[in-house]
Amino acid sequence: MKQGDTHEKVMIEKVDRAMFVRYAGASGDFNPIHWSEDFAKSAGYPTVFAQGMFTAGVLGTFLTDWVGEENVRRFRTRFVGQVWPDEAITCKAEVTSVGEGSAEVKLLVTNEKGEKKIDGDATVIL
Amino acid sequence: MTQTASRTLAERLQEFVGKPYGGPTVARDPVNEPMIRHLTDALGDRNPVYTDESFAKRSVHGGIVAPATSLQVWTMQGLVPRRSDGEDPQSRLMSMVDAEGYVGVVATNCEQIYHRYLRPGDLLTVSSEVESVTGPKTTGLGEGYFITTLQTYRDQSGEVVGEMRFRILKFKPSTPKPKKSDIPPPPRDSAFFWEGVEAGELRIQRCSSCGTLRHPPRPLCWKCRSKEWDFIVASGRGEVYSFVVHHRPEVPGRTHPFAVALVSLAEGTRIVGNVIDVDPSDVRIGMGVELVFADNERGRTLPQWRPAR
Ligand SMILES: [Zn+2]
Repeated sequence: MKQGDTHEKVMIEKVDRAMFVRYAGASGDFNPIHWSEDFAKSAGYPTVFAQGMFTAGVLGTFLTDWVGEENVRRFRTRFVGQVWPDEAITCKAEVTSVGEGSAEVKLLVTNEKGEKKIDGDATVIL
Repeated sequence: MTQTASRTLAERLQEFVGKPYGGPTVARDPVNEPMIRHLTDALGDRNPVYTDESFAKRSVHGGIVAPATSLQVWTMQGLVPRRSDGEDPQSRLMSMVDAEGYVGVVATNCEQIYHRYLRPGDLLTVSSEVESVTGPKTTGLGEGYFITTLQTYRDQSGEVVGEMRFRILKFKPSTPKPKKSDIPPPPRDSAFFWEGVEAGELRIQRCSSCGTLRHPPRPLCWKCRSKEWDFIVASGRGEVYSFVVHHRPEVPGRTHPFAVALVSLAEGTRIVGNVIDVDPSDVRIGMGVELVFADNERGRTLPQWRPAR
């Protein structure tokens, strides 16, 4: 792994709301804004959207698939935009620096149009 | 005035910084393989080190581990939130910002630090503290405060296994200008009432069989169960049967405080409405009021009440 290395993958081609329901059950985040159309609309959103930690989890899987799950030490995400049903989740990574035994990786999640959903970074050991 | 209030809130919020926010809370269940499978299914993670015992044995972990990003999952409360007496720091902080109108909430950042991988059987305890509160800041969602908390996760032996820094934005939802089309069409049972409002009449439903008045509109007479009804046009005279003066939480678009009364109509039933054109502190039970049609903050004309002239 060296500075400038990149990796990119479409992790989910088409997000569907069943994913939010499954993640709610698996994670304990039962906020109805992620699965109840009525609730989401009453809160001013056009429809339900993914739990931030769901998308972060998909990004985490992308990262561990690439660098090995045993090597991630720090994982930071910033929730920039909601992920809506029928969007794609595309993950990108770029190695920004390599130090003594570890590397810093810049991370990005976008939809199929390139709209930013999450940006973040991680520390991985080498 | 808003600035003074904001500065005061900002100062009060600083008192939470560096202090315990929640916990220590013990996870409801130890880290376990069924939940790990649910999680990896939900995330689409196919790495066998989380689910395949023999594969995991040969890995550097020597056995099944949970995905690192599941750190915060194990101590979640589940579908039914635990009861709180409202006196814990989290409840106090939240009600403090809610009371000033910052009722919206959105997660903005999450940083996790992993000290070791979690294994089935690990029983986590989480405790958190407020790391920082910044604001009020102007954001795309509205004016708000960023609240950053630091969660520390310990295992059954007290060893720190992970940390999570989580930031939320508590914001004052900006009120979009109402459109006429935002007002829903009246349901069938109350259409006559809203047609009356448009015509400048306060129409009160009357049972055709026994003559009993009823409000709000509904299909059945509460006294004789008849479904037949017509309506009368109320004179617009009444008196305050009971009332509240609303200070908090702030209702977007309204001036606070405001008075809402249950008005006894001269004709003999009761109706809820705002009392306007009066200092809310001057509203009294038994006070004579008269009907006035006025628009509310969303541009909808409503029957409202003012002191009788
Ligand atoms: Zn009747």
